Amino acid sequence: MITNMNWIYRVAILLLVFMPDLYSQSMQSSDPKVELGRYLFYNADLSINGTMACATCHEQRRAFCDGNRVHPGALDDSGKRNVPTLANVSKFKNLTWAHNHLSGLAEQSLAPIRGTDPIEMGMNGHEDEIAKRLSQNECYQKLFARAFPEQKGVITLSTVTQALESFEKTLISDNSLYDQKMKAHKPLPTKEAQAGEKLFFKTAKCNTCHTAPLFSDDAFHQIEPEHQVVYNGMIDNGLSDVTANQKDKNFFRTPSLRNVFLSYPYWHDGSAATLFEAIRKHNLNINHTLSKREINQIIAFLKTLTDNTFITDPQFGKPSIECK
Amino acid sequence: MRIILLIGLLSLSLFAKEVDLPVELNAWKSLSYVGAAKSADELLNASLTLNNASYVGLINTPKIKYVTKPFNEGGTVSYGGIFEIKIPQSGIYRVVLGNASWIDLVKDGKAAKSIAHNGGPQNSGIRKMVDYPLEAGIYTLQLSAGADSTTAILVTKIK
Ligand code: HEC
Ligand code: HEC
Repeated sequence: MITNMNWIYRVAILLLVFMPDLYSQSMQSSDPKVELGRYLFYNADLSINGTMACATCHEQRRAFCDGNRVHPGALDDSGKRNVPTLANVSKFKNLTWAHNHLSGLAEQSLAPIRGTDPIEMGMNGHEDEIAKRLSQNECYQKLFARAFPEQKGVITLSTVTQALESFEKTLISDNSLYDQKMKAHKPLPTKEAQAGEKLFFKTAKCNTCHTAPLFSDDAFHQIEPEHQVVYNGMIDNGLSDVTANQKDKNFFRTPSLRNVFLSYPYWHDGSAATLFEAIRKHNLNINHTLSKREINQIIAFLKTLTDNTFITDPQFGKPSIECK
Repeated sequence: MRIILLIGLLSLSLFAKEVDLPVELNAWKSLSYVGAAKSADELLNASLTLNNASYVGLINTPKIKYVTKPFNEGGTVSYGGIFEIKIPQSGIYRVVLGNASWIDLVKDGKAAKSIAHNGGPQNSGIRKMVDYPLEAGIYTLQLSAGADSTTAILVTKIK
């Protein structure tokens, strides 16, 4: 009898000890690094004057682009390149429009935070300020402690960027109309989109570079060789600015076309306002010149790559509970 | 005294060079001071007047209780504030701003959707201009994620 009671007590005690924890965990994303990364992604204290978060340029409702040709930095310096989508960004080996040896998303995030070409969040030389600001906030202390227990929750630029990377890895877009139809082995709903699909994969061979399912081959191409864009006085030579190899001049990484209908304007410099222009601008050596009608059919196909789940999923949005 | 000095200085810096402003922006040239509210219950003392440019004092973000969450709230070192403005009749209105703060115009808990964004004319001191279709009524104008503790603002009807 007594041993039985003991047993019940033990269970009750165990329940009491672990209940609140289970409860609080169910309210958060299961991975504490992801949760922290999401808070940081929406936190403007990562910029010098508190005016700019990652999400200022990467807006979920626009598939993490911003609708501007280029976006000025926190201190109003001109932007240089068009903001790319972050959909499936963890699947890329080559990050940004034209870089071939960034080690990953954590390293990439240092470019907006403290980069100077162009100045975006303006933290160059003020990196310590980030840890200082976050350390003053008890909620962040807790989030870091949970996300980096092995490092005792230390708040440094390194843990900040690791957490950002964890969040960015969750940004998966694979539920567009196109994906749904593919999974169900059903054709696309309109004749227009079906014709566009055929052009895309067969006649016009867009798929050789915009390779499904990522709709990018993650490789560099020179598709407008004659043109040298100088925008806001900044010359952009693409890959050769990184490799210093003249052969790489004007090479840019193929952008993914997922959610492309939402990610206007287009091209690395935002120089194409519409999808029509973006497609027309390719200077490709294919025998087939696309007619206006065919381009519109391709656009009808590209629209089926819009993933409404991705742009509305609350897990990717600004956390509803503030970290204060 | 300090405020008058500030206004003087601001107008000097804004109009150091003579600029030709389009007629609908004429009011930009004469400023009066308005301090922002930190929360809804201070709004009575933070009214902006249509067609009158105001030189506004802003508040450190952590001290502000916005009426509705701004889309872009800004970090602990940024500035913002809340104002009230009476819109007499429905139409297209332009908010003209001296800095790059995020603007929200809220009525009945709903933020108005902007229809156009522009920069200001050269040397005008205008950093951004945003156009909104508005109905008649009292709007709460929220500035957030601004870089400075002061700026200038003008709301004017354009259509
Ligand atoms: C001022 C606007 C701006 C801000 C703020 C900004 N970004 Fe970006 N982001 C860009 C632009 C522009 C590019 C393209 C850069 C290039 O190609 O050189 C980019 C590229 C990226 C990429 C590469 C995407 C790809 O397809 O390879 C990632 C990842 C990214 N940003 C994450 C972030 C994170 C994380 C933050 C916050 C720490 C951030 N960005 C803040 C504008 C911004
Ligand atoms: C040889 C490789 C290649 C082929 C083939 C190709 N593209 Fe591209 N595409 C690119 C590259 C590289 C860019 C980026 C160019 C830049 O920004 O400088 C691009 C950009 C785009 C963009 C703009 C995307 C954005 O986010 O800015 C669209 C849309 C596009 N391509 C559609 C197509 C279509 C449709 C076809 C087939 C008719 C096609 N492409 C064929 C390589 C290719």
